[in-house]
Amino acid sequence: MSGSLVGQRILRKEDHRYITGKGRYTDDIQQVGMTYGCFVRSPYARADIKGFDVSQALEMEDVISVLTGLDVAADGLGGLPCGWMIHSKDGSEMRQPVHPVMAAERVNYLGEPVALVVAETKEAAKNAAELVLVDYEELTPVVDVASAAQGEQLYAEVPNNTCYEWGLGDEAATDEGFASAAHVTHIELTNNRLIPNAIEPRAALAEYNSGTDEIVLHTTSQNPHLVRLILTAFVQIAPEHKLRVIAPDVGGGFGSKIFIYSEETALAWASKKLGLSIKWTAERSESFLTDAHGRDHVTKAALAMDSEGQFLAFKVSTTANMGAYLSTFASSVPTYLYGTLLAGQYRTPAIYVEVNSVFTNTAPVDAYRGAGRPEATYLVERIVEKAAGEIGLNPAELRRRNFIGKDQFPYQTPVALEYDIGDYEASLDKALEMASYETFEQRRVEALARGKLRGIGLSCYIEACGLAPSQVAGALGAGVGLWESGEVRVNPTGSVTVLTGSHSHGQGHETTFAQLVADRLGLAIEDVEVVHGDTGKLDFGLGTYGSRSLAVGGSALSVAADKVVEKGRKIAALLLNTEVDNIAFDAPVYKMMDSNETKTFQEIAFAAYVNHDWPSDNLEPGLAEKAFYDPLNFTYPAGTHICEVEIDPDTGVTEIVQFVAVDDFGTIINPMIVEGQVHGGLAQGIGQALLEQAVYDESGQLVTGSYMDYCMPRADNFPDFKVGMTCTPCTHNPVGAKGCGEAGAIGSPPAVMNAVINALGGVEIDMPATPEKVWRAVLSSQAQKIA
Amino acid sequence: MELHQQLTLPQSVDKVWAALNDPKMLQQCLPGCERFEAVGPDQFEMTVSTKIGPVKAKFTGKIALSDLNPPLSYVIKGEGKGGVAGFAKGSATVSLATIASEQGEATRLTYSVEASVGGKIAQLGGRLIQGAARKMAQDFFTKFVQALCEDETLVPEIETVSAP
Amino acid sequence: MEAIKLQVNGRKRTVHCATNATLVDVIREQLHLTGTHVGCDTSQCGACTVHLDGDAVKACTILAAQCDGSTLTTIEGLAQNEVHHPMQQAFNECHGLQCGFCTPGMIMSAVDLVHKEEELSPEAIRSALEGNICRCTGYQNIVAAVVQGAAGMKEQQS
Repeated sequence: MSGSLVGQRILRKEDHRYITGKGRYTDDIQQVGMTYGCFVRSPYARADIKGFDVSQALEMEDVISVLTGLDVAADGLGGLPCGWMIHSKDGSEMRQPVHPVMAAERVNYLGEPVALVVAETKEAAKNAAELVLVDYEELTPVVDVASAAQGEQLYAEVPNNTCYEWGLGDEAATDEGFASAAHVTHIELTNNRLIPNAIEPRAALAEYNSGTDEIVLHTTSQNPHLVRLILTAFVQIAPEHKLRVIAPDVGGGFGSKIFIYSEETALAWASKKLGLSIKWTAERSESFLTDAHGRDHVTKAALAMDSEGQFLAFKVSTTANMGAYLSTFASSVPTYLYGTLLAGQYRTPAIYVEVNSVFTNTAPVDAYRGAGRPEATYLVERIVEKAAGEIGLNPAELRRRNFIGKDQFPYQTPVALEYDIGDYEASLDKALEMASYETFEQRRVEALARGKLRGIGLSCYIEACGLAPSQVAGALGAGVGLWESGEVRVNPTGSVTVLTGSHSHGQGHETTFAQLVADRLGLAIEDVEVVHGDTGKLDFGLGTYGSRSLAVGGSALSVAADKVVEKGRKIAALLLNTEVDNIAFDAPVYKMMDSNETKTFQEIAFAAYVNHDWPSDNLEPGLAEKAFYDPLNFTYPAGTHICEVEIDPDTGVTEIVQFVAVDDFGTIINPMIVEGQVHGGLAQGIGQALLEQAVYDESGQLVTGSYMDYCMPRADNFPDFKVGMTCTPCTHNPVGAKGCGEAGAIGSPPAVMNAVINALGGVEIDMPATPEKVWRAVLSSQAQKIA
Repeated sequence: MELHQQLTLPQSVDKVWAALNDPKMLQQCLPGCERFEAVGPDQFEMTVSTKIGPVKAKFTGKIALSDLNPPLSYVIKGEGKGGVAGFAKGSATVSLATIASEQGEATRLTYSVEASVGGKIAQLGGRLIQGAARKMAQDFFTKFVQALCEDETLVPEIETVSAP
Repeated sequence: MEAIKLQVNGRKRTVHCATNATLVDVIREQLHLTGTHVGCDTSQCGACTVHLDGDAVKACTILAAQCDGSTLTTIEGLAQNEVHHPMQQAFNECHGLQCGFCTPGMIMSAVDLVHKEEELSPEAIRSALEGNICRCTGYQNIVAAVVQGAAGMKEQQS
């Protein structure tokens, strides 16, 4: 490694097109003869469909076709599958109601698509959609997650509306821990339901070419190959080699664009059925109703400690909302991405968790930035902070007493994972210093003099990222391995095209990956171009989620670059007429070890394509290498976040006056991009803590269905964040990287809520800590003091 | 959404009751009502155009009167579908009582409304329904009183009462 | 159909559109300037912000027919002779964007803000950007970019 580019704050290569308006997102694509789709959606949370009347819509000018759920059924399209099988404690398989592409007989959530209108213009499609008459008979919906199991049964094959009853850990050992405890802390909390709200709404453009019998689907996806696999292997709209999926510029995902939805599926099917090119772009109202939502847990838990504050056992019972159908990865989120993280950064010897996942008549719930890990961290860090208060110990000290020591790695937790490396005290110490934790009391007193309630809260989070070692993922129920592909294609003039299965939709892969490969090969970053997001160009790829891009996709590129270097050595040996063992690569130059003869990387690249004289037995022409990298373990980013708030007791408004995040992401390629990822994650985590919540009323209507009612974080909701890093490089991947995309959203909510509760003198409230809730808590806190 | 209100009308209970059972009267007073037809005993069909927040819609639906206790009370139930805009449904218990007033015989009219909306109208206008319902009630009874008394200057005072 | 004359990024254009067509639909679908984005349907996200006769406006809530005779600048018209506008440059240098979807609207709002305000503190910028939503950056680097872009614009003027 030349070391000249890795670790540099290199400005992003991709920015030029975005800041000049030349980005090309799905809805930007316009084609001659293109038609427009508009979906007809259920206005009910649950209803039987008694019939469709499309006659008026079809009579409208410019309307080409109206396809309904009945057409989907008649064509025998498969349902949208869930890619992760979870087994209940009794060994039975999770229950998976059929998720139709468009509903024909019954709708199960507000906004579920029932028909697709295709017209020559957007306006005609929209107007005709108003004339599609659907005869519904409304049914009583199940909305509340906590009581869903007792609600009216929604699917014949799903008793108690329960998808699975899952458990992890040693229940007997955990109970023993509680039996011997000196103190037990109890907590009940909800993890509020969120709507992802990538600013680019989902969109798709499906073009069928009858000449080649090929469908090209442009869509807003974080993983175009998974879209192709599911649409061909499961829904069976076309053979896999006759569907090309392109995810061009994508305007943010945060998990919501991982999943395979009804709309792009219906469009691809309709384009072939009608022989047309059809575009659909969601309006924000549709995004609110149909993008997979996140979180939505209710949990009871208890933490047992001995008289010294050592954790003995942790027991957790969670009910998780799946929504109306199982979205692509939904089942894994409250189980293997949640239960396995309940050890946190601590040596808790016994942990038992049970999770009941239930169906409700709400939008499907799936991975949203952090996916399971924020829910785990929120629980662990809330109860640890509460426990410290109950036993009268400083919260930082209680954590320190229970940390897994930096000399105790690799560390096997009681909930399946083996942490490879970390130094939790280092992050804690650095964060405490950056936050001036020691002098907080003075600031509290000073704030009180101004009439403000000041509080401070900690959160020491861990996450399992770099999804995922295929063998482990497979053993846990994943339907696919979770490796990643990468190719380093050296052009004859020595410039390089890098192809990766890791799609970029804001993370800056086009810079980070170029930086990584340019560094390895000793090239200028301008000479490396990154290609992603097109099944027609790349090998199979598994996409971007779970903070996996650099740790897994980057590792694939690292391995591929090593292969290029190796092959270059063979070519250099050929050109220099020596043995391969006599050639060393000192980027960007190949050197003969026993002479001063050299060949530059550019000379090798040129020779690779123009040389005439190949020894046919052991060396082929060309210089392009692929790698399919399968990680050996998850990666374990960890850190400490410290939040300080001030509450105005008269209005209940909470202001974040300081936020410190110290993270250990292992090796960092581009600190500027990493800090940007942290900022964004923090904003979403703080948004969850203070502002955001998806609310359905008892009839299953979405009360927070627009930006007028769903409180999106704005610039003035935040101070400047103080971001710091510590580093213990990942031990098992060639880059040493752990992943940084989700940490902010995982670590911050408990830090904020611990600070709010601290300011409120211990009165517990659930997220989001809205002014009304906080104001009521202030009143109850004052009442408690008077009493 | 719930609304509990009352007002006083300077007419006898019998006259008010008759007006409340007169489809023409109801159509005339209901804001945005384009059609109000009897389709059976105490059963009506109607078309109403209305706007809640940013969503404007034409609702087509059925109205039914039940629990009739002439001339003192009935329950009026309705359900309307507004296509892509969604749906609205609700019921109102209306009761009448004779009260003494300086101008002679008068009637106190009390009503309790429960209503809900769904679909786009709830998504974008849900928060505005209470206000929209109040305005609709005010508009309805203003016209109702004016028609009943044949005096276009009358504006009834509607007061909100606690739930029964 | 209405015939509407516009001066768009320095070029004279005439478009024919329905009376109820919004400005952003005309910009994207008839003028093919797809740098102006649509992120919501309630006029709150700001992704469609353009300059109409020198003022930042949300193009999703203006009818094209209202704009007859107006001068329109979109993100595509901000750079002069292939040189980034100081605000564009600042967004790049401060890492003030990630997915890039809100960025054109954000930059157009920021330029307008600098034109209208003499002194801009980071707090004032945070408050003034209330009408532009970004889901990626946490806003910190956007604020830094606006501070730097404002300085760059001042420098360019003097």
